[in-house]
Amino acid sequence: MAASVRLLFRRISRLSHRNINSTADSFSRRPGCCFGPFSSRCISDAAEDRNTHFGFETVPEAEKAKRVYKVFENVAEKYDIMNDAMSLGIHRLWKDMLLHVMHPQPGARLLDVAGGTGDISFRFLDYVYHQQERQKRRALGSSQTLSWQDISEKYPAEDAPHESSSVVCDINKEMLKVGKQRADSMGITSGLSWVVGDAEELPFDDDQFDIYTIAFGIRNVTHIDQALQEAFRVLKPGGRFMCLEFSKVTNPVLARLYDAYSFQVIPVLGEVIAGDWKSYQYLVESIRNFPDQEEFKGMIEDAGFCSVQYFNFTGGVVALHSGFKL
Amino acid sequence: MAALLRGLRAGRLLRGLSGVVTAPTSTVPQCRSLRRGFHRAALRLQDESKSDKSSSSSSSSTSTHREQYQAHSAEQDTEAASQQDSDPNSSEQDQDEEYETEEQLQARILTAALEFVQLHGWSMEAIAAGAESLGLSSASTGMFYNGAGDLVLHFISQCNAKLTEILAEQHNQVQLGQAERKKTADFLRDAVETRLRMYIPYIETWPQAMSILLLPHNIPDSLKHLSTMVDDIWYYAGDRSTDMNWYTKRAVLTGLYNTTELVMLQDSSPDFQDTWTFLDNRIQDVVNMATTAKQMQSTGEAVAQGLMGAAVTLKNLTGLNQRR
Repeated sequence: MAASVRLLFRRISRLSHRNINSTADSFSRRPGCCFGPFSSRCISDAAEDRNTHFGFETVPEAEKAKRVYKVFENVAEKYDIMNDAMSLGIHRLWKDMLLHVMHPQPGARLLDVAGGTGDISFRFLDYVYHQQERQKRRALGSSQTLSWQDISEKYPAEDAPHESSSVVCDINKEMLKVGKQRADSMGITSGLSWVVGDAEELPFDDDQFDIYTIAFGIRNVTHIDQALQEAFRVLKPGGRFMCLEFSKVTNPVLARLYDAYSFQVIPVLGEVIAGDWKSYQYLVESIRNFPDQEEFKGMIEDAGFCSVQYFNFTGGVVALHSGFKL
Repeated sequence: MAALLRGLRAGRLLRGLSGVVTAPTSTVPQCRSLRRGFHRAALRLQDESKSDKSSSSSSSSTSTHREQYQAHSAEQDTEAASQQDSDPNSSEQDQDEEYETEEQLQARILTAALEFVQLHGWSMEAIAAGAESLGLSSASTGMFYNGAGDLVLHFISQCNAKLTEILAEQHNQVQLGQAERKKTADFLRDAVETRLRMYIPYIETWPQAMSILLLPHNIPDSLKHLSTMVDDIWYYAGDRSTDMNWYTKRAVLTGLYNTTELVMLQDSSPDFQDTWTFLDNRIQDVVNMATTAKQMQSTGEAVAQGLMGAAVTLKNLTGLNQRR
C-alpha cells in the first residue's frame, strides 16, 4: 500500500515536472503548427506528411484521429463523473446556458455532434417539451369559456405537426453506448437517435437540421475547417451553428489560477477517479492548443456563417460561438 | 453511408463544374482574409454562373463581379473553391444576398412575422412562424436577442415611417397648390387619427405590445420612437419655434397621443367613433387653454397697469412724489 502510494507520488511529481517544462516550451513557441519536444520531426516532415498537434505532442494527421478515439474509448465509462469532478459541476450550468441562448422552438431538429453521452440532447428535448406545455397551457387559458368537449377536441390538433427530434452523432461507439444507457435509464423513448459519424464527413444529406451543436468536441477534430464546412452543409437555410468550447481566459489572475488547476489538479483527478492520467493530460493540453475566441470566430465566418457572435462564460474559461446559415 | 453521400455530392459538383471555365489551380495566397475575399468572389461567380443558367456566360460573368480582384485569378479560385467541400446552390444565393442585407433580412423576417401576431401574440413564436413562412428555419429567431421587443419596435418604426410618408405627401400637395392648408388643430387631429388607425388590425393584442414596450430595457427605444414621431407631426404642422414653445408643444401632443391610445384600447364603438370624439374634445381643450392663456396674459397686463396707475395716484395724493 505504501509502495503504491509512493509510486503514485513519484509519477505525479515526474509528470508534473514534464508538464511545466513542456508548457514553458510551448508558450514560448506558440504561433506555428508544431511545437514541443518533437519539433525536429516537424521540420523534416513538413514537405510530405502533414503534422498536427495532439496535446503538446506533434503527430501525423492520420494518427491524431486514432489517438483521440483511444482517449475517449478509455474515458467513456467515467466521462460524466469526471466532468462533474473537474468542473465542480459547473459544466451543467454551461450546458444550460447553451440551451438558454439557443431557445429552440417546438418542431426544431437538432444535430448534436460529438454528443457522446447525450447531455445536450437530453436538455434540448426537455426544453422543447416545456415550451410545448407552456404553449398548450396558454392556448387553453385564453379560451376559458369553452366547454369540455371543445377542449378535448383541441388536444390532438396540437401534437401532430411539430415533433422535435435530436440526432446524437459521435465518432466513438463507446461514448454512444454510454449515452444510450443513460437515455434508457431516464426513460426517454422517442425523439432521439444515435449515429456513428465523423464530424469532418457527416453521414447526412444537405439542409437537414435546424440547429447544429458541438459541445466540447471541436478541439478534438483534426481539420476544424472541414468540420465547420460540414456543419454549414447539413444546416437548413436559417439554421444555427452553436459551439461550446474551452477558450482563452482574459483575466491574467484567473488565467494563472486556471493553468495551475488544469495542469496540477485535473490529471491527478483523472488518475484517481478514472485511472487514466494520460487521457486527461491530453484533454488539458488540447484546450491550450485551441484557437482563441476571435480567431475561432474568424474561422466560423470563413465557413460561410453570418451574424457570428461569442459569449464568454466563467470569465472566458468557456466560450459559446453562434453563427447563422443565411 | 458516408462514402455513398460523398459520391452523390461529387456527382452534383461535377455537373455544376461543367459550366465553369477550367483553369489550372495555381498557388493561392495563404493569407486568410485574402482567401476569404477570393472565396466570396468565387461563390459570387458560382452564384452568377448558376443564375445565368448557361455555360458560355460564365466567362462574361467574371467581368461583372463586384470584387476588385483580377478576373483571371478569380477564375482560378473558382476552381479551387469548388474543389473544396462546396456548399449547395440555395445557400450560395442566400449567402450572396446576405453580404449586403443582414439587417434587411431581419426586417423581412419581422414583417413576415406580423402576419402571425394575431395567432401567437407578440412573441418569439410569431417570429419563428414568420421565418418559416420565408423558408428559413425557426432557429434563425436566435438572431433577435430582444425577442418580442424587436418585433414590436420594428412594427412601431414601420408605422412611423408610413405616417411620415403620408404627411410628406400631404405637404407636397399643399405646396403644389392642389390642397388647402389645414388649421393646426385639424392637422394634429388628422395626424393622430391616421397613426392610431394603423393599430386597428392588432388591437386585440395591443395591450401585450404596450406592456412589452414598458419593459425597462425597451423604454429608451420606445421613447425615442415616440419623440421622433411627435417631432415629425409638429414639423409638418408648420412648427418652427425655437423657444420654450418647442417643448410645450411636443409635451402636449405626447399627452394627447398617449391618452387617445389608451382610450382606443377599451373602445368598443363601431369604427372607434368614441376614440375620435375623445380626441376632438382633447384638442378642443388644448385650443381653449391656449386662448385662455393668452386672454389671461393680456388681462394680467391690463390689471398690472391699472394697479400701477392707482399706486402713482396714491403717491401724488399723499405728496410723496414731490421733488424737493
